[in-house]
This record gives sequence, C-alpha cells and structure tokens, in this order.
Amino acid sequence: MEEKKIHMITAVLLIFNILILSVGFLLVKRQEFSENENRYLAVFPECKWEEIKSGQFMDDVNSYLCDHFPLRDAFIGMKSRAEIILGKREINDVYIGKDDYLIEVYQKPVNTERISRIFSSFAEKEKTKYLDLNLMLVPTAIYVYQDKLPQFASVRNQMDTAREIYQACGIPAIDCSQALLENKGNGQLYYRTDHHWTTYGAYVGYETFCKVKGLEPVPLEELEAEKVTEHFCGTIYSKVNDYTYKGDPITIYKNPSDELTVYYPNTDVTTDTLYNLEYLNQKDKYSLFLDNLHSLVEITNNTAVSDKELMLIKDSYANSMVPFLAHHYKKVYVFDTRYYKLGPSNFIDEHPGITDVLILYNMNTLDMDLGIGGIY
Amino acid sequence: MVFSSILFLFFFLPLCLVLYHSTSLLPCLQHGKSRFKSNQGEVLAVREGTNAIPLKNGILLVFSLIFYAWGEPVYILLMLFASAVDYINGLLMDRFGITKGRRRIFLITSVAINLSVLAFFKYANFAVGIINGIFHLAIPFPDIALPIGISFFTFQTMSYIIDLYRKEVPVERNYFTYLTYVSMFPQLVAGPIVRFSAVNEELHQRKLTMDEFRSGLIRFMQGLFKKVLIANQMGALWEEIQVLEPGRASVLCCWLGAAAFTMQLYFDFSAYSDMAIGMGWMMGFHFPENFRYPLWATSITDFWRKWHISLSTWFRDYVYIPLGGNRKGVLRHLFNMFIVWFLTGLWHGAAWNFVLWGLYYGVLLTLEKYVWGKKLESLPLFIRHLYTIFIVVTGFVIFVFDDMGALGIYLNAMLGRVGNCFWGNECIWYLKNYGVVFVAALLLVFPFYPWIKEKIAGMKERARVWFAIGALFGYQVLFILTTAYLVNDTYNPFLYFRF
Repeated sequence: MEEKKIHMITAVLLIFNILILSVGFLLVKRQEFSENENRYLAVFPECKWEEIKSGQFMDDVNSYLCDHFPLRDAFIGMKSRAEIILGKREINDVYIGKDDYLIEVYQKPVNTERISRIFSSFAEKEKTKYLDLNLMLVPTAIYVYQDKLPQFASVRNQMDTAREIYQACGIPAIDCSQALLENKGNGQLYYRTDHHWTTYGAYVGYETFCKVKGLEPVPLEELEAEKVTEHFCGTIYSKVNDYTYKGDPITIYKNPSDELTVYYPNTDVTTDTLYNLEYLNQKDKYSLFLDNLHSLVEITNNTAVSDKELMLIKDSYANSMVPFLAHHYKKVYVFDTRYYKLGPSNFIDEHPGITDVLILYNMNTLDMDLGIGGIY
Repeated sequence: MVFSSILFLFFFLPLCLVLYHSTSLLPCLQHGKSRFKSNQGEVLAVREGTNAIPLKNGILLVFSLIFYAWGEPVYILLMLFASAVDYINGLLMDRFGITKGRRRIFLITSVAINLSVLAFFKYANFAVGIINGIFHLAIPFPDIALPIGISFFTFQTMSYIIDLYRKEVPVERNYFTYLTYVSMFPQLVAGPIVRFSAVNEELHQRKLTMDEFRSGLIRFMQGLFKKVLIANQMGALWEEIQVLEPGRASVLCCWLGAAAFTMQLYFDFSAYSDMAIGMGWMMGFHFPENFRYPLWATSITDFWRKWHISLSTWFRDYVYIPLGGNRKGVLRHLFNMFIVWFLTGLWHGAAWNFVLWGLYYGVLLTLEKYVWGKKLESLPLFIRHLYTIFIVVTGFVIFVFDDMGALGIYLNAMLGRVGNCFWGNECIWYLKNYGVVFVAALLLVFPFYPWIKEKIAGMKERARVWFAIGALFGYQVLFILTTAYLVNDTYNPFLYFRF
C-alpha cells in the first residue's frame, strides 16, 4: 500500500509541477528585454486572419510562451550544465574548451565569392583616388586557440578562407594571424566568454598594422593600463548560459600623450574619451568601446604624430583597436556600413582629407555580416 | 500543435483535462439517469455520475478541433469533409443497405472519396513527377502542402466504413460522436491508427478511475521524456553526421549515424504512441498498443509484428486478407505481398525511397517465409537479433534519403567505398558528445523497463518502496530537464556587434 501511495505522490507532484509553471506564467510580470540574450523578447502577436491562415500567429504564440516562461534563464542554464556533465562539448555552436574557454564554432563559409566581389569592386572604384587601402581579416579564437579546443573537435581553417579573399579582391593584406599565434604565451588574446579579442589581442593586431604601414607602434609599457572590470560575461556565455562560468576582466589602454575629441554625429555628443564606462553596469560590457553602435564616429587627435586621416570600415573587432590607432592619425572616421546609408565611397568623396582606408573584419562573422553589402 | 511544446504541455492539456474532469462534478449530472442510448436503441446501464459522457465528448471534440486547427487552420475543413463523407455513407448503408450489393455501393463511394482525397493531397506531386518523367511532359507541379495527419485519419475513417460493411461495428448516428472519434487529439496526427471498433463502446460509455488517470499520466510522461530527451538528441546526432561531406565520415561514423536515425525514428514514433495511449487512459479511452520493442525482434517477420502494429494490422485486415493472403497459392501470395508492401511503403511518403523501403521488406518477409525462416529459428538468439537489427538499420537508411543519389553515396560510405577510413576522430567526437544519451537509448530499445518492473514486483515490500521513492525523484528530475529542453527551443541569443 505504501508503494501505491508513493506512486500517487509521484503523479501529484508532476501535476503540481505543471500547474505551478503555467500559473506562474500567468502571474509573472512580463519582461520586455532580455539582458542575457541582448534582444527584445517576443510580444503577444496580433490575432489577424491572414496570420492565422499562414500559421504565423501560432509560431509567434509559441515564441511568446517560450520567451516569457518562468525561470527561463535558469532552465536554459540547467540544460547546458546537464549536457556538459553528460559529456557534450558543443552546445549552441559553441565548443566547451579547456581552461574555461568557450570558443565559437567556425561554420562553413558560403559567401566567400560574394564578399571578395564586394571588396574588389570597392577597391576598383577607389583606385583613382590614391588612397592607401588595406584589408585586415582577423582570425577568431578557434584559429588561435586550437590547443584549447575539446579533444577530437574538428576545425576549418579560417585563414584559408581569408587567403582566398585576399587573393581574389587584390587589396593589400594585413595578416595578423601569425603574430597572434606567436604572442599566445604573452597574454590573453581572446575573452573566454565573448567572441571578441581582448585589448591585448587588438594590440597585437595593431603591431602588425604598424609593421605593414611602416609606422612605429607605441610600446605597451608607455600606455596607461586600467582593469575596469573582472566580470565580463559576453555573448558566448549567453549562448551556453552555464552560470558556473566566471566572467573575464577587461583592460583598457590610454595613451597619455593623445589629446582626443570624440564626436558622435548621430547623437550630437562630444567627449574626450574612447570609452563609455557606464556600460560596465550592464551585461553588454564590450559596448564600452566607442559607445556601442554609431553610424559614424569622428575622432580628432590634436597631438597626432601625422596629418593623415584614416577611415575605418569595420565590425566590432575594430572598436578595441581604435584606441591604439588614434595616436597615428589626426582624424579617424569609424564608419558603420550598416547604419551609414550613403556608403563609404560617397563619404570619401565628401571628406577629401582622408588618406588611408582600412577594412577590418573578423573571420567568424564576416560570412554572415549584413553590413558588407553596404561597402559597395 | 505538437505534444512536446510549452503550449501543449502547460496550457492546452491541463486546461482540457480540468474542464473534462470537472464535468463529473456538475450537480445536474451527478445523480441524473443516463438518457444515453446505445446504437441498437436500448438504454445502457444506468449509472450515477456517468452521464457527463456526452458533455465530455463535446469538450474533447472542441479541444481536438482547436488542436488540429492550430496546425492546419485551413485543412481542418478537409478533415470535417472526410469524416462527414463516412458518417453519411454509414447512415445510408444502415438505412438502405438491405442487400450486400447495395451496401457495397456505399462502401465503394466512401472508400473512393477517402482514397481520392488522400491521393490528391499526398500523392499528386509525386504522380505528376512520374507522368512527366514517362511521357516527357512538363505538367506544372500542383504544389499541395500535405495536411497534417491525413494518412492517419483517412485510414481511421475507412476502418469504420469497412467494418460497418462487414457488420462488425454498429452504425454511428451522432455526427459529433463520430467526429470526436476521428478528430480525437491524442491520436490525430501521429497514431496509433485507432479503429472505430476499438473505441466505439468507450465513446458512449467509459469509466474514469483515479488509478487509471495516474497510469495514463505516467505513460504520457514516459513518452514525453522519450521524445524530448532521446529522440530529439538522436535526431541532432543524425543531422550532424548526415551533413558531413562524403569521405569525411568514417565507416563507423556512418553506421553510428544510421543507428542514430533508427533510434530517432523509433523513439519519436513510439513516444507519440505512448503519449497518445497515456492521454487516452487519462480520459477513459483504451487505444491499441503500437510498438512492442521492435528493435529487439528476432526476425523481420517478428519485427513487423512489433513495429507500428496498428498500421501493419490495418493492411493485414483490410488489404492482405481480403486479397486472399497466403491461401490462394504461392504465386497469388507473392502478388499479395507485393501489393501490401508496395502500399505500406507508399503510405509512409510520396517518394520512391519509401516504395523501395516497403518492397525491401516485402522481399525479405517472403524470403523468410519460403527460404530461410526455418533455418533462422535454429540459430542462436543473438545472431537472430543481429540479423534483424542489421536489416532494420539498413532499411532506415533507405527510408531517410528521398534523393536516390544521396542514398547511394551514404550506403557506399557505410561500406567504406568512398575512400573513407574505417574509423576516425569524428566518430570519437560524436560518441563523446552523445554517448550517454546513446547508451540510455540502447537500454530502452531492449525490453529493460518491463523486465525491471517485473523484478521489482517480485521483491519485498520494503525494497519496492525504495524503488518507488527513486522513481518519484527520477520523474521530477526528468520532467524539469524536459521542460528545460522545451524552453531552450527558442533560445537564440542575438549577438550584438554582429555587423
């Protein structure tokens, strides 16, 4: 009889579980934005016949339910933790690497030809303007930290794809992959929980840049370093959401000899710093570099070592390299093709002072980057 | 709507069950007498508290229609039409079918309409492709989307009209009761194929007990866990292996992939049957069992007695035996086998690989009957298991590729004939990532669960209590984990700075 009672309790508890979660769903206050995933959560769809007929309404309701489910983050973390315990080493396209490194998988690139074509068309168009044009394709952690990948994981070589693009588009390359590999032992080059390179990784990239351009890089010791946080849980952390991972530190560098004016035209704000440390209070801490998203940033250095002006067409990897570059140029235009609709060629025409153009992308997001199309 | 979704598990099903069972509490239905009559017109036994059945059927019907409309807001009309056709033909057959010949008219009308609906919605694209191929034409493809569950509900309604013709079931006079049978959401979209004769009585009179509700809930949960924690994981493994370029996957890895797909299919399908049967119990219905550890069969004949039983018995009773089965000579038997297995293959999908898959089994079953069946029985048991599993896994490789070229490449890769090595790192990688789930799946492929249940039943009270407590915690943990997987469905962090 005892046994039967326990079986009954099992069933009652299961029902209780279901009801507590469904009632909880109805009672809990709706959140609009998920900090962890850095996106707006689904809103309840409008009930229109067209949407119902196509099934869109039903899909949207399902997304809404999943997005606002009680204890959502905890459930997702639990799933990841359980999978890792059971031996899984790849979760949501992230390798669970050694030394607490989370490393993004490099998917098979599909747009290599299209991207090469865009770059070469752009180069062709700017040929007559006597600009110093360079292309810098930066490998991500999966290339540099291969030894930290879980055992038996397979990898595609990012730099093979990069070489293909370099050759096809004909823009002079700045290849920092070798330098990154060589400096692996000297410091942390990539965040363990984010898909970006660290400021040290960016510095190594900057050194290569200087070498190719014939500039004299400022030694790291001459810069003021400041560790602004120890708890940066980045995008890859969110993908896995395993709460047992600790955050990364972020170190920022300032050159005391630089006298900077940083202007954001879209918000009409002028400051004297490349960092917005208010972002340290949010989850999205990488945004502290150049204040997150802006269609254009104009950086003026009154004490620059040259009168040259650099235009930077780039993704977010460049944001942590700009602080080093600013030393060498009177003006740096940081240009976002996604938000600046008129395109870089127009911009160059309007700003005859520009002498150098650098295109900088990381290899992992290059293939699916929506902004590339805006270059040409 | 699928069973393994947040919407179904946390909102649709609880709401349905609460409303369904709360009707028993309505005072006006508590002590009244059943005015409900059976099909022959006599009053069924008067019981207290049971006359909520018509209301319960109504609730079940409304929820079933919502369930279907959720997935097919337009094609629901097709289901209503198909069930109306059989219902009306049934009434007419009952009213005018004095002679066998007349009854046959209604039978043929009904079956013809059902089969045309099925042919049009499921096979039109396939047929146009074949006709274009043979006659070098370019008839445009009709491009019809397959209505969910059409193969299941047309077979169910046909079972009604055929059985009625054979006078094995009584006529159903109430359209809503009939529609409740056809549309009943637990078994509507993925089986088992419940024949009218199996639930006819329960549609009118059924007992609901607490104990059976509990068993039903547990059975449902087992199905849910199987689907979410095993079938989906095996599916993910198969997806990963399938996309490897030929030559990059080693022989062992290809076999691992084929085994993963076999398990995905088995666990997915049998989990749906488990959930259907469980929900049936929760509502007082008893659907037939659909799987009895088919991957643990000792021959192909045995496999088909245990795999998708409701389908194979349907074909046996409504096609094979009417054609004469094996009693009209060897040639006729071979012909019958060909027809039945051609149709069985085609039922699974409108593509050549499904036909090929059906015929593959037709041939093997014939061989077992006429050539090596007897010899097989004298072999040691484990060889018979190996023989069966080898054929079944190979069979599902045919099943999964609707592109004949890709099928050829994969089969060759399984034999190591595309320049791939015997085993490689990728194989270890997948074993490491999915090993635990794979082993759990293997345990459930064997009849391990009934075996241990039997063992526990034979133990002392004290030990049984401990096992029950273990099960109690096990179920809660698995439930929470399953919920976590369901919530993860839409989890996709938007990566900032991805420009």
